[in-house]
Amino acid sequence: MNPLSLLLISIAIYTLGAISPLLLSDTSRHARRVSGLLGLLASLTGINAFVLSRGTPTSSLVLFSIAPFGRLIIQMDALSTFLVGLISLIGAATSIYSLAQYSEKPGVLSSRLVSFFTNLFMAAMLLVVTVANAFFFLIFWELMTLISYFLVTWEYEKKEVVRAGFIYMLVAHAGAALIMLAFFLIFQRADSFDFSDLRQVSLSKGVKDLVFLLAFLGFGAKAGMVPLHFWTPDTYAAAPNHVSALMAGVMKKTAIYGILRVCIDILGVPVLWWGLLILFFGGLSTIFGAFYALSERNLKRMLAFSSVENVGIILMGIALGVIGLSVQLPALAVLGFLAALYHSLNHAFFKGLLFLGAGSVIEQVGTADLNKMGGLARRMPWTAAAFLVGALSISAIPPFNGFVSEWFTYQTLFVASQSSLIEVHAISPLFAILLAIAGAFAVMVYIKAYGGAFTGPARTEWAASAQEVTPFALVSKAYLVAGCLALGLGAPWITPLIANIAASFTGMPAISVSSGWFIYPSNVDQAVFSPPLVMLLLLSLLIVPLIIVAVYRGRQAGRRRDVEPWMCGYGYAPQMSLSATSFDQPVKVSFHWLYWLRTLVIGPYKAIASSARSTLGWVERAEPVVEKVVTRPTARLVETAGLWIQALQMGDIRVYCLYIIVTLAVLLIAIFGRSGL
Amino acid sequence: MTNVVLVGIGLLQALLLLLAAPLFSGFSRVLRAKMHSRKGPPLLQNYRDIVKLMKRQEVVSEQAGWVFLVTPYLSMSAMLLAALVIPVLTSLSPVGLAGDLIFLIYLFALPRFFFSLAGMDSGSTFGGIGARRELLISALIEPVLLLVVFVMALLAGSTNLGTISRLVGSGEFPISMAYWLSLASFAFATYVEMGKLPFDLGEAEQELQEGPLSEYSGRSLAILKWAIYLKQLVLVSIFFALFLPFGAMDRLTPFSFVLALAAFLLKAVVFYFTVGVLENAMARVRFMKAPAVTWLALGAAVLSFVFYLAKV
Repeated sequence: MNPLSLLLISIAIYTLGAISPLLLSDTSRHARRVSGLLGLLASLTGINAFVLSRGTPTSSLVLFSIAPFGRLIIQMDALSTFLVGLISLIGAATSIYSLAQYSEKPGVLSSRLVSFFTNLFMAAMLLVVTVANAFFFLIFWELMTLISYFLVTWEYEKKEVVRAGFIYMLVAHAGAALIMLAFFLIFQRADSFDFSDLRQVSLSKGVKDLVFLLAFLGFGAKAGMVPLHFWTPDTYAAAPNHVSALMAGVMKKTAIYGILRVCIDILGVPVLWWGLLILFFGGLSTIFGAFYALSERNLKRMLAFSSVENVGIILMGIALGVIGLSVQLPALAVLGFLAALYHSLNHAFFKGLLFLGAGSVIEQVGTADLNKMGGLARRMPWTAAAFLVGALSISAIPPFNGFVSEWFTYQTLFVASQSSLIEVHAISPLFAILLAIAGAFAVMVYIKAYGGAFTGPARTEWAASAQEVTPFALVSKAYLVAGCLALGLGAPWITPLIANIAASFTGMPAISVSSGWFIYPSNVDQAVFSPPLVMLLLLSLLIVPLIIVAVYRGRQAGRRRDVEPWMCGYGYAPQMSLSATSFDQPVKVSFHWLYWLRTLVIGPYKAIASSARSTLGWVERAEPVVEKVVTRPTARLVETAGLWIQALQMGDIRVYCLYIIVTLAVLLIAIFGRSGL
Repeated sequence: MTNVVLVGIGLLQALLLLLAAPLFSGFSRVLRAKMHSRKGPPLLQNYRDIVKLMKRQEVVSEQAGWVFLVTPYLSMSAMLLAALVIPVLTSLSPVGLAGDLIFLIYLFALPRFFFSLAGMDSGSTFGGIGARRELLISALIEPVLLLVVFVMALLAGSTNLGTISRLVGSGEFPISMAYWLSLASFAFATYVEMGKLPFDLGEAEQELQEGPLSEYSGRSLAILKWAIYLKQLVLVSIFFALFLPFGAMDRLTPFSFVLALAAFLLKAVVFYFTVGVLENAMARVRFMKAPAVTWLALGAAVLSFVFYLAKV
C-alpha cells in the first residue's frame, strides 16, 4: 500500500477512535480503552506510512474541490512525511498512556470526551502538515486550535483554567489572523489557494518581506517564541498530562512546519535579514526560556518554559539554514535545517517523556509543586528512571540525543562563523555563547526538577504515600526512553536520513554527515563525534573504579544504611533538605538583571492593555453616536457570543461535539467517495 | 602511528593521569602548608587517605537513593573518558573519533549533573547548598570556555582538539593577541573549575562547592575524591593541549615518549605551583561576589574574539 493511503487510513482510524467512545455506553473504562487502542492503531499506521515513504517521490492526491476555494490536496513530500512520522511516533506513546487510570471527577470533562478530543486533535495535526492548499490548511489549523482549546479547559470549573484557555484562544487567533493575512497577500497575485500555485507567484520585494513577517510572527506565536510565549506556561499547566505532552512535543512542531512551509518553501529564496531576524528571536527564546524555567517551582510550568527554550534552539537552526540559502552556501543551509529538524524530533521525544513522567508524579502526589514532593525515586523507581533519561537528554548531556542535535547546532554556528559576510561572521560565535549559557541553565533546571521531585526525603505525607503508576503509563514511558536512546546512540544511522530530508526540502545537494560509527558536519576535518563509542567507553571505563573497589574487597567493613544526614549534631527533619525554591536562589541573585529585562518586556503589554481599556471607556462616554452605531451592537454581539460560549462551557459541550462529528463525517464521506478506498 | 598504538597510548595516559592526580593534589597541600608556615601532610598523604578510606565502613543516610550510590563511579568513568580523548603525550588525540572540544566541554556536565543530584539526594543541607554553588559557578564559567574554544577553533579551522593541538605545537598556528587573551581567560576558567580560592576553600571544601561530599564516606568517598583529583588534572591537560602542547610526540620512540612524559610533568608542576601560590595569596570573597570576578574572564574572552575579528 502506498504511504498516502496509509496516511488517510491513519486519519480515518483516529476519527473512528474519536467517535467510538461517544457511541459506547457510559461505562467510561471501556470507552477509553477502545479509543486508546484505536489511537494506537492509527499511530502505528502513521509510523508505517512514514517508514514506507522513505525514498519515494512526492505523492499527492486531490480529494475534492469546492468551487471558490480550490481543491483539498493531501500531499506527502519530504517535510510533510517527517512531520507525519513525528506526530505518529509521539501519538503512539500518548495513546498507550491514555489507557491508564483516569479519575472521573465532577467539574471535569468525562474521559469519553477527553478521548474524543485527543484523537480528533491527532487527526487535525496530521491534516495540517499534509494538506497542500492554503484555504484548507487554515481550516485544519483552526480545527486544531479549537480542539486543543477544549482539552485545555477540561477542568472547566476552575477559574485559572478558564482564564488560561481564554488567553490561549486569544493568542492562537491573533496568530491565525496574521497567517491568514500572509496567505491572502500571496493569494491576491496567484488567484489560487493551492501551494503549488502560490509557489509560482513572483512577489515584489516589499510584499515578500511583509508576507514573511506576518507568517513568521503568526506561526511564532503558536510555537511559543519569546516575546509571544506568555500563554504557554498557563496553557500546558492546565491541560491534561498527555495532552500537555502532545501540545508541547508535537503541536509546537506544526508551527515550526508552518514557518518552514511558508517562509522557505512557498516564498522561495529567502533574504539574509530574515535569517538574522529568526536568529535573534531564536536566541532570545533560548536564553529567556531556560531562565524562566529555572525560577519555576510548578513542574508543568517549568517544562512549558523549557519548551520555549527548545523552540529557540530549533529556530536558531532554521535561521542558519535560511542564512545558508540566502548567501548560497548549500552546506550551511542543509546543516541548519538538519539541526532544526533533528532537535524537533528529539524535543518531541524527551518533552513527551518528561510531561508523561510529570503527569504520573502529579497524579500520585496531587500537586505540581516541587517543594511538596521529594523522595519519589524510592516510591516510583521506574517513573524516576524514565524521568532521569528525559532529564539527561534535554540537558544535552553527551551521548544522549539532546546533545547530538545541539552539537549540530554548534557546528552549524561554527560553519556560519567562517562566512565571509561580516555580520554573520561576527554574530554567530555570540549565539554560541547564548547556547552555552542556556545549556548551563537547562542542566540546573532539570537537576532542580529531578532533584526536587525524586531525591532526598519526602517533604509531605502525600509524597511519602505515593505509589508506582499502572503498567500502561510505564510502557508509554519505556517506549519514549527507547526513542531517546535510539536517537542519541543511533545518530550515525539516523542523521543521514534527516539530512536527506533537509536537502530535498531545500532543493540543495545532499551532504554526507556520517560514516561508520561517527557523525560529522559535512567536513570530517571540522569535527567528529561518535555517540555510540562514547556510550561504550563510558560504560566500559566503569570497570576501573569497580576494580579498585574489588581489590580491597576482603578488607572492607561493608556499608551501613540506617543513619540520618549530619546536621552538626542536631536532629534531622526532612524540611532541612534543600527545597526547590532555594535551589536557584544564587542564580536569581547573580542574574537579577535578566529578570529585570522580563519586567521591561512585559511592561509594554500591560501599558497597551490599560490604554486600550481607558480608550474604550473614553469612547463610551464621549461619543454617544459611535456608541449607538458601533459600540452597542458590538457589545450585544459579544454578549450573545459570550452566552453561547458559556453554554458550551457549562456542560452542553455535546452539541458542539455533534457539530464537529457531522462536519467530519461529511468530509470523510467526501474523501473516501473520491479516493475510492 | 597506527590507531591501535594510539588507543594503547590513550589507555596508558588515562592510567597515568589517574595515578598522578592524587600526587599533584598532594603537592598543592604541601605548598599550602609551607605558605601557612605549618608542617603539613607529606606529599603522598592523598594516597594513604584513599587506601584508608577504602577499608573504612561506608555509612549512607537512609534518605539517599541510587543516584547517590552511582555518582562516584560515573564521575570517575566520565573523567577517564576525557583523559582518553585529550592529547596529553601525543600530538594527535588518542581516541579522537569519540568527540571534539565541544563534546569535551559538555562531557564535564555529566559528573556535575550527578554530583549535584547526589548532593540533593543525600538529604543534607550542606549537600544541597554545595550543589547549587557548583552549578552557579559552572553557569558562569561555561560561556567563557565555549567562547575561547570557538575563537581557537576558528583560528585553526576545526573544533577537533587534536587538530588544534597539532597546529599550535608545530608553530603553524597564528600566535596573535587573540591567542594570548584566549590563553589568559582559559587559564582563569581552569583555575575556577579546579575549585580554588576565592570561590572555594582549601581543606574546608565541604562547606562550599564540594558540599555534596559531606555525606559520603568509606569507599564511595575514596572513589569520588579520586575522581575530583582526576578532574583537576584533566582540566589542566586540556589547557596544555589547547595552548601549550610543547613536547608532545609525533612519532613513538622511547626517547620521544620520555621527553613527552617529562614535558607534561614539568608543565603540570609549574601550573600547580602557580595556582597554589595564587590561591594562598588570595582572600576569600563572599560567594555571591563570584559573578563580578567571572564577568572579567568573560570580558577577556570577548576581547579575544574581537581581536580575532580584527585579525590582530
